[in-house]
Amino acid sequence: MLELTAYGARRRVKGAIALAVAISLFSLLYVGFFPSLASNVDLQQYVDSLPSVFVEAFGLRAFGTIEGYLATELYHFAWVILFGVYLAYSAAGLLASDVESGRIDVLLSLPVPRRRLVAEKYLALAPGILLVNVVVGAVTWAGTRVIGFPVAISDVIAVHALSLPYLFTCAGIGLACSVVASRASIAQRAAMGLTFGLFLVESLVTGTDYAWAGAIAPSRYYDPTAILVDGQYDLAGAAILTAAAVLLVAASGYYFARRDVN
Amino acid sequence: MAVIEIDGLTKRYGDLVAVEDLTLSVEMGEVFGFLGPNGAGKTTTLRTLLGFQSPTEGAVSVLGYDTAVESERLDALTRVGYLPANPQFDAGATGREILDLHEALKGGSRRDRMLDLFDPPLDRKVREYSTGNVQKLGVVQAFMHDPEVVILDEPTAGLDPLLQERFNDFLADERDRGRTILFSSHVLSEVRRVCDRVGVIRDGRLVTVEGVRDLLDRSGKLVRLRADGDVPERAFDLPGVTDLTRRNVDGATDFSFTFAGDVDELVDALDAQSLRELDVEEAPLEDVFLSFYGETDA
Repeated sequence: MLELTAYGARRRVKGAIALAVAISLFSLLYVGFFPSLASNVDLQQYVDSLPSVFVEAFGLRAFGTIEGYLATELYHFAWVILFGVYLAYSAAGLLASDVESGRIDVLLSLPVPRRRLVAEKYLALAPGILLVNVVVGAVTWAGTRVIGFPVAISDVIAVHALSLPYLFTCAGIGLACSVVASRASIAQRAAMGLTFGLFLVESLVTGTDYAWAGAIAPSRYYDPTAILVDGQYDLAGAAILTAAAVLLVAASGYYFARRDVN
Repeated sequence: MAVIEIDGLTKRYGDLVAVEDLTLSVEMGEVFGFLGPNGAGKTTTLRTLLGFQSPTEGAVSVLGYDTAVESERLDALTRVGYLPANPQFDAGATGREILDLHEALKGGSRRDRMLDLFDPPLDRKVREYSTGNVQKLGVVQAFMHDPEVVILDEPTAGLDPLLQERFNDFLADERDRGRTILFSSHVLSEVRRVCDRVGVIRDGRLVTVEGVRDLLDRSGKLVRLRADGDVPERAFDLPGVTDLTRRNVDGATDFSFTFAGDVDELVDALDAQSLRELDVEEAPLEDVFLSFYGETDA
């Protein structure tokens, strides 16, 4: 078991390291800015002048604190949006690119159930996701200590640990697109559009009468601001996201096992 | 015992009928050539046989397992090798990484033996491979787990003539080891060397199944020659000559015809002429179809 996962994960090591380095630099850049920003700008006044939908979308409530600042700049933006959309995009290529290139013929001739093929390909993303979390978490935590605005390590661990179900759900959305489409570019566009679209919907309806519509968006169940600023860990949300990820993978496997691959 | 059975297979893509009511069986220990022009439905048939897509109608089985059903197909696949037409592998992986993966999933008892015969540069990335090397990698993975049944889609495409020869010898050895091989081709000369029987497919229908000897006898040779002087048409009025054309070219005469008669008689007729040029080659498959099956179809 997991031979395809190990193979796929090895093929992704370099990409994961590059991503970990890039987001870490991004994090250090923001962390480095914070001291001068906090002393020279009245951030709360700036936030108060923004539309409430914007404040909600980026978790700007406590922008004047290091926790609120990181929650917005790093975790809402780089994590929830960029990393989430990137994972959806990556996962969307998992099978669609094999089908498009014709590599799938050799894969399907292996004595491996198609559901296992789908699940193992998906799991090949996991080591990369974990690596990026560990590296960025450690760098960010260390960075805040260096600038003298330390964030509690428990909150850093929580904001990363609780992001895992969210990230795996985004990858699950990509996987679902990947098993349906026969062209990688279509799957990838659909996955990115869907992931970002769901985020937008959730942001726009929050605080309105249509807030219920945001329940289908993964971002509803992961709130970095609540974790870092308020120390509130939404375990129920994490459970919902975990269930969603499992469901997406199972449904993808079920569908792929029954479709004509041509 | 039939190892591969295709019974009344029809495969449609929407309105397009790729294969229609095709029935075929390949016996144990047989090398069966699946012959047809490009686009005739060969790949569709083989991919359906392997369960990549489901039959619209009809049934397919390998080694007695219904390959349209995944649980049965997986039992069959452990004992089947497959080389797709124009095989593709991860461009960023090395040949070794790909073979390691295959070995982990299906076994590799003959991997080293195969690599002695066909040796792609294992430590280079597939991205750097020539077409021939990709094909070699494909051949190695198809046989590395010592499968009882091997399905090959245009296996010698991309191999240079020397390697084609080696591949044909290898297939003959495999047959002698009792392996069953089904392979498709659009080149008659390729199947003649190694096949016992040939099935001819055209426009998605099986036109004929016959011994390779019979097919070759019927298909004949394409003869082209240039002889000195004004040679009359009756000089090649032999039994077995068809489609004869004759043309005078500055002091010589060009002939071209298809010949399916007695070779000795042809040699005698040629001997009577003073030849400047002579070409004898296998009749192109398209011509074989036109001359023998052209009227029965379409």
